[in-house]
Amino acid sequence: MRKNSSGNHKKSQIVLLCLLCFLCLFVIPARGQKADVVQIFEQVATFIRDNRLAEAEKELVAVLRVSPDEPVALNFLGTVRAKQNRIVEAESLFLRAAGNDKSFTGPRMNLAYLYLLKHTPDKAVPQLKEVLAIEPENAEALVLLGDVYLAQNNLPEAEQNYLAALGGRLENAAALFGLAQISRMNGEMRETTIYLNRVATLSADSKSPEFLYKFGLEAMRVNMFDEAKSALERAFELNPKEPSYLLGLGIAWLRKGDLFEAEKHFRRLLVMQPNNAQAQLHLGYVLLNQKKYAEARMWLEKSARPGVAIPEVFYYLGLVAQEQNDDARAIVLFEKAVQKLPDYAHARIALGSSYMRLKNYIRARQELETAVKLDPEEPSAHYNLALLYARIKEPAKAQEEMKIIDQLKAKGTTNSGVIVLPPKSNP
Amino acid sequence: MFIRGPIFLSLLALLLLAPVQKPTFEEVPAATSKITWVHDNAMSPDRQLPETVGAGCAFLDYDNDGWMDVYFVNSGPSDFFTPPKPLKNALYRNNHDGTFTDVTDKAGVAGGKFGMGVAAADYDGDGNIDLYITNYGPNILYRNNGDGTFTDVTDKAGVTAPGWSTCATWFDYDNDSKLDLFVSSFVYYDKSQNPLCTDATLQRRYYCVPRLFKPQPSRLFHNNGNGTFQDVSRESGIASSPGKSFGAVATDVNNDGLMDLFVANDTMPNFLFLNKGAGKFEEIGLSAGVAYGEAGRPRSGMGVDAADFDGDGWQDLFVANIDQEFFSLYHNEKELIFTDQPGEIAPATQLLSGWGLKFFDYDNDGDPDLFLVNGHPDDMIESRVPRVRHKEPLLMFENTGRSFKDVSAKSGAVFGKMFSGRGMALGDFDNDGDYDVLTSNNGEPPLLLRNQGGNRNNWIGLQLVATKSNSAAVGAVITWQAGALKRTRLKTGGGSYLSSHDPREILGVGIATKIDSIEIRWPSGKVDKLTNPPLNRYVKIVEGTGLVTK
Repeated sequence: MRKNSSGNHKKSQIVLLCLLCFLCLFVIPARGQKADVVQIFEQVATFIRDNRLAEAEKELVAVLRVSPDEPVALNFLGTVRAKQNRIVEAESLFLRAAGNDKSFTGPRMNLAYLYLLKHTPDKAVPQLKEVLAIEPENAEALVLLGDVYLAQNNLPEAEQNYLAALGGRLENAAALFGLAQISRMNGEMRETTIYLNRVATLSADSKSPEFLYKFGLEAMRVNMFDEAKSALERAFELNPKEPSYLLGLGIAWLRKGDLFEAEKHFRRLLVMQPNNAQAQLHLGYVLLNQKKYAEARMWLEKSARPGVAIPEVFYYLGLVAQEQNDDARAIVLFEKAVQKLPDYAHARIALGSSYMRLKNYIRARQELETAVKLDPEEPSAHYNLALLYARIKEPAKAQEEMKIIDQLKAKGTTNSGVIVLPPKSNP
Repeated sequence: MFIRGPIFLSLLALLLLAPVQKPTFEEVPAATSKITWVHDNAMSPDRQLPETVGAGCAFLDYDNDGWMDVYFVNSGPSDFFTPPKPLKNALYRNNHDGTFTDVTDKAGVAGGKFGMGVAAADYDGDGNIDLYITNYGPNILYRNNGDGTFTDVTDKAGVTAPGWSTCATWFDYDNDSKLDLFVSSFVYYDKSQNPLCTDATLQRRYYCVPRLFKPQPSRLFHNNGNGTFQDVSRESGIASSPGKSFGAVATDVNNDGLMDLFVANDTMPNFLFLNKGAGKFEEIGLSAGVAYGEAGRPRSGMGVDAADFDGDGWQDLFVANIDQEFFSLYHNEKELIFTDQPGEIAPATQLLSGWGLKFFDYDNDGDPDLFLVNGHPDDMIESRVPRVRHKEPLLMFENTGRSFKDVSAKSGAVFGKMFSGRGMALGDFDNDGDYDVLTSNNGEPPLLLRNQGGNRNNWIGLQLVATKSNSAAVGAVITWQAGALKRTRLKTGGGSYLSSHDPREILGVGIATKIDSIEIRWPSGKVDKLTNPPLNRYVKIVEGTGLVTK
């Protein structure tokens, strides 16, 4: 977990720095400096963009020696410090820049990003509000403020800011993406897909792998697998060194139901990161569904780190044991899954099925009846119960259970009818 | 010059350690076999469902010369199809030299209906093999006149079975020594029942999924012994279970001496009709665990067969399904319970749709191996589903004792080709002591495959001639022993898809050079025992008399 959060932290920093560079580069001309200073700042911006920080710093120090309070120079130097991961100094420089020129929004936007990076959204909000007081239609600030409110689960405020960012036109992908998330959280799936479809169109040429990745995950949540897939494919093209894009892509194929493509992506990820537990788990799951049990078992066992195995791993390993005709071992594994997650209906169905195969009909009945209570709309629970009733010569009850399956089918609540569910854990 | 001493011993050791060469199947081209007949599937823009499910083929010895002849079923006129040129089924006589001669017209077995399947057996016990042809439309029973010709006796016999029949199986369900007839019925269909199945991408019709059609009850005909049959579908309990039935195999799943029926259904639960005696069947597919796939989902069952693949004395079952559904190998756990244990077969068949299939001992090592014929029923599937093909490969699985191993890649170049496979018949057409294969392909020429090398192991071929039991000896239990090798085989009825097989039994004994004993327990209860029978030849065994060497 620590490693992951540290990785996420680093990723966020990179994003932040890119944004800072962007701001610095494009805010300068608007300041209307003298031609020679403008040239210097343009040069500095190029240095920062090219990561030639020492050269940038040299130029900025020269400017600040002459004009120690020059806001643009301070803002640039803050950016350099941020890129050097000297966050405290960066914050101080941005604050000075903002203080020296109240109408200069660049350092305030940089401060907002910095505070979000430091997980202090409460400090980011006033900076964004200051920006909006100066530039009420600043779409970037509006979206960022919307994102802060969304993260705080303040959906009305978030929505208001996203709508303001749109300004009546459906052209801002980030704002529409925010609205899509709000719709999804409100359970409005139709609206969500409409927004996401528009985002997909607008971000067709996006150069931001992070945004494409976020979009891909959101699209998967509403079963827009093709859109998710193409966004994640582009994210991976833009940054082929990022394993989470490959994992996301594998999961998108998996959710789309193409086990072969999913398998290919998980295997590719395992070449990149041989110990990636998520990739191991997902590959094991895919192979289990392809009935390649021996290899599925190998990957699933690898994915089960001591002490941190999720219940799905035990469930899948139990299914492998069951398919390999080892019901005694399967029962041990299913029991482990149920211990970790007592409401795990599928594990209980499998447990009941194994007891049934061992002709322990009393335990089978207990587990299957519990499973039906836990998930009355799961056809495999009813099917196994029907099988059990048929075997213990209660044909009327068996038929009743089969009728329930038909009713579920008619209602359209059954999906593929496959007993194995994909792992819940996402990248 | 003789090689002596250590060199000789080394060579001997090398020979003993050398890997056993496994048989391969060699395609016999039409130019060699002279089988020029081609199946016409009548494919139309309307994509009428019967177009895509046919047709079957058979190995049979219609002229009693001891050589397997072949029969093919073709499409023909129907309510939705008028052939632009006459179409006919085909009977080819085996010339004993690897070639065949078309004798259809002379024999009078051209069919003339929209044909589906064929079941060959001597239903009247006169020593001649008769032919039952299933159709989309009324079926046909051709009685063999014994002079190279046949007579259509359908109406007199009372086995017309109008509607849409698919597989037919001869077996003796009441052990009265006469062959009865089970006829699978597919869906209720006529040309007005063909809904528009298409999608926005194709904007053309494709073949509708059978889920959209109404099921029909299958039929059971009791042989009255006087050339007529009585439809006992209702009183036997068979008609109580309407289905969308394809493949059927008669076997004895509980070893009670009564032949049961395993019937594959398309988009519906499969049926296991347990023979309760006194002419009654009970459908127990659900409790037996062979009706549904996982989660109680019916699958698209097509071809079936039965055999005791692991030698535990109980008949196991096999059913082939459509792509993504996996094929099932149901192991008999006794007490009328089966568990699906497909092993390597499942991943190998994930993307395939299986039709003709048969357990048989391809390498004469004594245990049943498995041959699968595949092809997707939707000719436009490739534009709709990734990786699934319309034409699909054949598969060969070798029995490893408790499971099966995919040996297709090592079993001949034909396994690298693609076919729209449907029917599959088993028979030793060249009488060399190993099973050859005949497949019928939808809208394509058939495929005759010669087993090359199955007879490297030793064998004996049995022609069972019943005197008290049913003429096909369906239900006979054959046990043979050669040294440490002891095997038992139940002679099943039917199996595969729309097809009919060589009635002889080839018993493989591996490298044993002597067969100690053979015991035949006939359906009548009579037992014939043979000791030290001859090796590597066909023999005739007459019920109650024993061996009559050929």
